[in-house]
Parts: sequence; C-alpha cells; structure tokens
Amino acid sequence: MANTKKKRENQGISRREFIKGAATVSAAAAVGAIGFPNVLRGAAPPEIVIGHIHPLSGFLGFDGQELRKGLMLAVKQINDAGGIKSLDGAKLKLIDADSEGKPALAIPAVERLHRAGAVAILGCYQSSVTLVASQIAEKLRVPFVVSVAVADKVTGRGFKYTFRTQPRAEQMASQTVKYIKEITQASGVTVRTIAYLHDNTAFGTSLSEHVVKYAPEYGMEVITKVAYSPRAADISTEVGKIKAAGADVIMDTGYFGDGVRVLRTMKEMRVKAKGIIGCGNGAFSHPKFVGELGSMTEYIMDGNYRANPVNPLTEKAFSQYKKTYGTEMGPSTVFAYQPMLVLADAIERAKSTDRDAIRKALSETNMTQHILPQGPIIFGPDGQNKNAQAAMMQVLKGKVQVVWPKQYSEADFVFPHPS
Amino acid sequence: MTMSFVFQSLLNGLLVGGVYSLMAMGLTLIFGVMKVVNFAHGSLIMLGMYVAYWSVALLHVDPYVSILIVFPVLFIIGASFQKFLINPIINAPEHNQLLLTLGVSLFMENLAVFLWSPDYRVMKTSYAEINFYIGDITISLVRLLAFCFAMLLAAILYVVLTRTDLGKAIRAASEEPRGALLMGINIRRIYLISFGIGAACAGVGGAAITPFFPVYPYVGWLFVITCFVVVVLGGMGNILGAFVGGLIIGLADSVGAMFLPGSMKSIISFTIFILILLFKPTGLFGKNHA
Repeated sequence: MANTKKKRENQGISRREFIKGAATVSAAAAVGAIGFPNVLRGAAPPEIVIGHIHPLSGFLGFDGQELRKGLMLAVKQINDAGGIKSLDGAKLKLIDADSEGKPALAIPAVERLHRAGAVAILGCYQSSVTLVASQIAEKLRVPFVVSVAVADKVTGRGFKYTFRTQPRAEQMASQTVKYIKEITQASGVTVRTIAYLHDNTAFGTSLSEHVVKYAPEYGMEVITKVAYSPRAADISTEVGKIKAAGADVIMDTGYFGDGVRVLRTMKEMRVKAKGIIGCGNGAFSHPKFVGELGSMTEYIMDGNYRANPVNPLTEKAFSQYKKTYGTEMGPSTVFAYQPMLVLADAIERAKSTDRDAIRKALSETNMTQHILPQGPIIFGPDGQNKNAQAAMMQVLKGKVQVVWPKQYSEADFVFPHPS
Repeated sequence: MTMSFVFQSLLNGLLVGGVYSLMAMGLTLIFGVMKVVNFAHGSLIMLGMYVAYWSVALLHVDPYVSILIVFPVLFIIGASFQKFLINPIINAPEHNQLLLTLGVSLFMENLAVFLWSPDYRVMKTSYAEINFYIGDITISLVRLLAFCFAMLLAAILYVVLTRTDLGKAIRAASEEPRGALLMGINIRRIYLISFGIGAACAGVGGAAITPFFPVYPYVGWLFVITCFVVVVLGGMGNILGAFVGGLIIGLADSVGAMFLPGSMKSIISFTIFILILLFKPTGLFGKNHA
C-alpha cells in the first residue's frame, strides 16, 4: 500500500515537473531565437548549475527573496570577475526552488535540482526545511551548503555532504553568554541572574536550553525560564512572570513579530533590568525593529549572527548590494552571500564539477578572506564551520551596531541600560 | 507570586477579553441569523487591522478615528461577501458553507500577502507610550481604550438588537426565518445587514487592538479560534452569551498563563470548550430547546 502510494506520488511529481520543464525549455528556446541570436551562433560558454531552496513565496516570502538577492549578488561578483578560472572561466548559474516555507516541499525541490544537474544546493532559511532538504541531498550525494538554519541537528547527524558557515544554536548561545560575562566585567557591573523569555518552538527552546547549560560556566544562573506560544494573542502574563523574577538581565528569543510584542509589553509594564538581551532574536538586531518601534529599542542588545562591520570587504558587499537592489543587506542575507562564495571557492579548488570532488574541496576549505566576524572558515568533520562566531549587537542612536567582541566592534556598548 | 502580579494578569485578561467579546459577538450574530459558520472571521479581523493601519499611516488620522472608517468599510465588505458568495449557497449543506468561508479566508490572506507583503507592521502612535500606574500595576492606555471601544460597540449592538425595529427584524429572522418572511420582513436585506454588522464587529475589534498589536496577513488566526471557543461557551447565536464568554475566556487565559507553562496556557479555555460541548452544548446562556 505504502509503496504504491509513494510511486503514485513520484509519478505525479515527475509529470508536473515535466510540464514545467517543457514550458521552460520552449520559452527559453523562443527567447533565444528571438532575443539573443548571437548566443546561438558562438560557442556556448560552459555553465555550472547551482541550485537553491528558499521560501520564495508564502509567509516567509519576503525573507526568502532577500536571501535570493544575496546569492545572486555573489554569483554576479564571481561571474564578473571571470567565473571559475580553473574551469576555463565557466560561469555560475543559479536556479531557484521555492519551499514556500514547508518542509514537505523540500523533498521534490532537492530531487528537481538534482535532475537539473546542480553541482551543489544551498538553503533553506528554516531549520525544519533544512533538516529535510539536507537529508535528501545526502542520499543523492549532492553537496549541501546551508545558508541560514540554526538547529544543532543540521550538522549533528554525521552527514558527509552538509556544510554550514553560520554559528549553530550551541555556538550562538554559549558565545552570547560569554559576551554578556565579558561586557559586564568590562563595565564593572555584576550580573548573576537571568530571566529568559522565549517562544515554545524548537528555535526558542533550543537556544534557551543552551543558555541554561552554559550560564553557570560564567558565574550566572537562569532563575526563570518562561515560554510563550507564538499563537497566543496576549503575552502580558508571561511578561509579568519575567518582571516578577526581578533578574539582573532579561534574555529573549523569538521571531520578529513576537519580539515586537515582547518589547512593547515590557516597556508598558515597566519591566526593569540591567540589560534586555536577545539570543538569536528575530527582531532585536533587525533594522526594521528599530524602524517600527523607534526610541523604545535604544540600548537593546542581541547576540546573533552578523557580518564583520570593520572589514573593507563587508563594506564593498554592502554597497554593491545597495546599488543593485536599493535596500540594505540584512544579516540573514549575509549568510546567503558568504556561503555562495565558499562554494565557488571549493569549485575553483576542485577544478571539476564532479559533486564528490566539490564535496572534498568543501571539506578542505580554509578561507581567510570573508566578511564574517571570525577567523578562517574551516569546516569540522561534521561540516560545521569550526570558527563560527556570533557577535553582540546593541541599538545605539537608532542604529544596530556590533559592540562585542572588541576586535569586530563598530561602537562602544552601553551597559547597564540607563533607565 | 505577588498580589500585584495576580491583579496585573487578571486586569490584562479582562481588557483583552473585552475585545474577544466584540469579535465573538460578530461571529455569533452571523451564525445566529444565517446559521453560517464563518471561518473567514479571522480574515475580517485582519482586514480591519489593515484598514486602521493604513488610515493612520497614509491618511494620518487618529488611530481611534480610524475606527469610524473601519466600521463602514468592513460593513460593505461583509455585506458584499454575503450577497455574492454566501447568498447563492445559503441553503446548501453546512459543510459546503464551511468550505466556502475557509476558502475565502485563504484567498483574503494571500491577497494581503500579495498586496502588503508578509511583513509585520506596527502602528506608530503616541498613545502606545501612555500608561497609568497604580502601585506596581500598569494600566496601558491603548489596552484600556481597546476595551472601552469594544464595550461601547457591544452596548450599541445590544441596544439596536433589543430596542429597534431593525433589531427585532434581525432577531425574528434568526429565530423563525419563514415566519419573519410571512410577516413581511425582507429576509435577504436582513441577512445582508447582519453579515455587514458581524464583519464590522470583527473589523472594529481588530482596529481597536492595532495600536498595540503588530499587523500581518495571518494575524486573524490568533483570534478566530478563541472567538469560536467564546461563541460555543456563550451559546451559538447568543449575543449576550458571546459578550460574557469573551470576558470569561480572557480571564481564563491569563489565569492559565499564571499557573501553567506558556505552551499550556490555553488549556483552561479549551477545557472549558470541551466541557461545554459535552455537558451543555447549547452554551452557558443557550436555551435548552435550541
């Protein structure tokens, strides 16, 4: 029963894909014949197909489109600089697959990109989708380079084909706790207790659990941990519990909309602490957060992934992005842009479009020229960027700025929060 | 657990409960009159929030003046919804109507994504920063005003339904449509008006919370399930029941959040929901013969 059902599903997909493919081919042929006759006459330049899976539509459509722009910028930079030199200047070609934010759609997406001849796949912005997509890629032996996905499990399953540059949950949480300790020491303020408010999805739960585990190493303790449901209409009682705890600092993890509600409710209820600090927070270090809530966000901190603001390469990438797309390059877009460069570097060294050769080259990555706040990008045997580092951001004068670690900071932190 | 924390939670529960009341009254009115389970109610709430948001952002009207815009706009949307989509299938089996309203809600959400992107938007208003403090208890002006506006509209709705000819006609159409028709009441018109009023209640409920609640295309789902619980609690179609039910559920949620971990806080209201369905399916205020 199960088998026949599966078979039928597969057939359905391939039929649909066939029609889609046929339409694309005929459209391309038409465009080629009418619009670009020159290309047909000359020798076609060799192309290297790279696939990506992101939520290009649906409730995360905005985020997915941003990440796609980051990928396209990296592809454009590489192609403009002469393509992959070890392969006679072959150009990179990016092909899209839309996950719509649904893990189930990751399976046909990977299979389609695999059949389209993608030498590697990037994705997927959500841990849930990434977990599925990387599993299929592993089965099909396609190198999978993670753009954004924080869950530890993504690189914790012994996969050979999965690589991730961004800090995973444990790195992000332990480093955030470490930065809090360093910042409090540098400012001469004692912080012993933490009250943690987080959403009850895997995102908030995993980060907060790591903080609970790592806080004692730095002489701190999480005295209250309150979860809220992102589906709850009112979270003022949860915030009330945090207020009642009276901890030295308040930490928060959640998606963008919840971050907005949480801070508003905290301000309303006059919740006071030496610091309000996010950990991987979807709102606290997002420029839009400051734009929406204004002065209320001043001095809010967030330990999160970020580009290295004091690197000239970052400046170059940011200004090119702004020039091409007219908007600022957001922090998650950085983690589409940089992994694409890592992948291109691996293809260059592999001198081949063979997937196993690229996988091997990826595992030998040692990239020193990049825009992340860390040492060289080196993947461990699990495929995780060993040196991945989060940074501590703070909203200062209405701008999200990196304030810690010192060597990557663009401004001096203000701690404790002036009340 | 300090006393101020308990009072604070109960107060916030009551204030948000008032908004649930208004939204649920709209839902129960539509059900009571037309026997249509309106799954698109959440989308109407969402539309109300967007209308309020854009009125403030683009027309620079006061957030509370925007309610005067939201009411007629949502009334017209609701009435057209009824005329063009509900009316043709008013006599179809219930599951067809249910699927239709669900489909409409998906359509409206995706339209909102298309028109306004899935971004979270926050209304910028100076009211949001005004709070009153009694000891350690905070009374937020915007929450208080949301409650007051919801109560005001609920009261007006109640008076209209009980004291005016229109209200009597609506109640007649709800209780005995054929009899009302025989008495010369224009049932089609009553249906149109009732759906319009129901939609406007949803919209105004949404608009009233927009000063402190982010707006995005899927926001309606946060409220619509609660509305259904409230409606069942108060008795399907019972306006007064929905009013009291909203306040009860608001309080139950905040009591739940006080004693239970975050993910479990709705357990109290859903337990009430199941118990009511099991032991008093006509609701707290439902007549037993209904």
